[in-house]
Amino acid sequence: MTEARIAELVDRAFDYRGYVTLRRSDGSELVGFVYDRGASHLDLFDETATRRTRVPLAEIADIAFTGEDAARKSQDIWERRKGKPEPRETPAHGDWADPAKVLVLVALEQELRSVARALGAARRGGVVRGRLSGSEVVALAVGMGEGARRALAEQRPRLVVSCGFSGGLDAALAPGDLVLATAVRSTGGDALAAPESPRQAAAAALDGLRCVQGELVCATSVAASREEKRALASPGALAVDMESYPVAQAAGEAGVPWLALRAIIDPLESSLPPFTREARRDYFWPALRYAFSGPRAAAGLVRLARNASRAGAALEAALRRLGPALAVAEAHR
Amino acid sequence: MAIPAGQMMAVGRYLLKQRLARRERYPLVLMLEPLFRCNLSCTGCGKIQYPVQLLRRQLSVEECVSASDECGAPIVSVAGGEPLLHPQIADIARALADRRRFVYLCTNAILLERKLDEFEPSKYLSFSVHMDGPRAEHDHSVCREGVYDVAVKAIRAALARGFRVTTNTTLFEGSDPERMRHFFDDMMELGVEGMMVSPGYSYEKAPDQEHFLRRERSHQLFARMLGSPKRSWSFNQSPLFLQFLMGKRDFECTPWGNPTYNIFGWQRPCYLLQDGYAKSFRELMEETDWSRYGRKSGNPRCQDCMVHCGFEPSAVRAAFESPQAMAETVASLVTGRL
Repeated sequence: MTEARIAELVDRAFDYRGYVTLRRSDGSELVGFVYDRGASHLDLFDETATRRTRVPLAEIADIAFTGEDAARKSQDIWERRKGKPEPRETPAHGDWADPAKVLVLVALEQELRSVARALGAARRGGVVRGRLSGSEVVALAVGMGEGARRALAEQRPRLVVSCGFSGGLDAALAPGDLVLATAVRSTGGDALAAPESPRQAAAAALDGLRCVQGELVCATSVAASREEKRALASPGALAVDMESYPVAQAAGEAGVPWLALRAIIDPLESSLPPFTREARRDYFWPALRYAFSGPRAAAGLVRLARNASRAGAALEAALRRLGPALAVAEAHR
Repeated sequence: MAIPAGQMMAVGRYLLKQRLARRERYPLVLMLEPLFRCNLSCTGCGKIQYPVQLLRRQLSVEECVSASDECGAPIVSVAGGEPLLHPQIADIARALADRRRFVYLCTNAILLERKLDEFEPSKYLSFSVHMDGPRAEHDHSVCREGVYDVAVKAIRAALARGFRVTTNTTLFEGSDPERMRHFFDDMMELGVEGMMVSPGYSYEKAPDQEHFLRRERSHQLFARMLGSPKRSWSFNQSPLFLQFLMGKRDFECTPWGNPTYNIFGWQRPCYLLQDGYAKSFRELMEETDWSRYGRKSGNPRCQDCMVHCGFEPSAVRAAFESPQAMAETVASLVTGRL
């Protein structure tokens, strides 16, 4: 494409009130809103309107006007209602259609408490409803490895986030460290790669927290002992949980983008108390019984509570930061 | 006189400092747009047509304060979008007032009454309520029934709680001068401190392109509307600017007088035109080619513009640069004649 044609496209993109897709000379693509341009570059906001990128004009091979033109849409709405006022309860400009929600799936009540704190909302019957950066969020405790498919069918979200606690498979990971999944792998060896766009947006949002990206291994039973975790550890596998693979699988079937975010509760070289092997949503009574079984058990339980508190705080901080990233799926719609 | 003496003195001191420092270009009002989101979509507005993600984005309190510090203008007009949709708007207003900035919080007042508890009355804070004329004209202009009544109720509530309140009126083709005169009476009876008027700017992205006023029509309308002004009317504007609207004076635009800051940065060149963004206020002032703007430049987008954000600073500046213009300003403020 000639320089003159690129210059013409850049001028159009600058005037355009919607998202454009830039194709670079190396074949890569970048979606964003062009808000400024100079003699040799253009500036754009990414789809979440959080990151700014400067692109040299020399790198641009083509520009496609892929997003909806907000000015045209405003014009169309005005033309349609010309002469008659809008209803008193018209939502704010930009809320033309109620955007679909973000679904956060956790296994345990304790994980749901972290989500509730991040949303500043109350838990009601295993459900938390709130907003993050303007996105409606519904969080459900669905147990281990269960309920994801039904939750997706009922909630019809635009993005699903599997989140909660996990065991470390990498010796470098400590309680409270975060793992953002690049892929989730079943114990049978099947792997599902995390969708790129929301994952990249999430990674950018989590920058600055103790967060690493890598593979999550999804076990069918609780890997409570260090021996079980060592057996699951492999190069690139960072953590083990029981929920992310079924969630990713159900999301893939429903055509919904997904994220998996875990906070380490038990590092590789530690073991969980035996009562955690039993799959349940709340461990209060089993933990109480275990605490009275002896001083070593009580001490171990205190350590686990401290780790859970760290992991919960890490999840809460991460979710607060994820707000803008949750908008990515909406930008794609 | 609509503007309190303390505010006039503070602005006067600021202008004197600029004169003594021999600054050629300096800001008078910072136009701060903390968000573009709005709960109305008015027929003549070209400010809010952005993708949803950008409409949901907003400046933080720190970014607003930092922009004000960087700019240094004694007055901050908080516009948008609808500023009251910003969850921290009261913190923004408070932080700016703490820095002794005179804040005009421009609002359509739909949320004003229920948000009043978040603010404290201060000589540094005025609610500048968008009122485009009598009930029928206003509701037509904002494209929604009932907004005039909501705004009037909110103005009463704000005044009763000791807040400063002004009104802010944009006029379009078809405005009836006689009905507007009655509207001015109504606003003054409500007890507002002062009124601001301006012709609308023909935003390229606004849905209705047919009703923007051309220069000659603006002169005719304002001459009839403001001719023989009533003593009871108070305008929160320079009398010289009102005379300019009436065609009695001519000014060239001062686009740097009301610099604009929003989520994209410092908007070039002015509040109305979007030719790009500067990263800093200094870059805006020093690296913008100002010769490309204003009527004399021949820029077609400037030919019919008579909006206060470009010409109010010209009028204020003229008063400070010429003893005669200053005398005429004072005479007009004292006698109420235009």
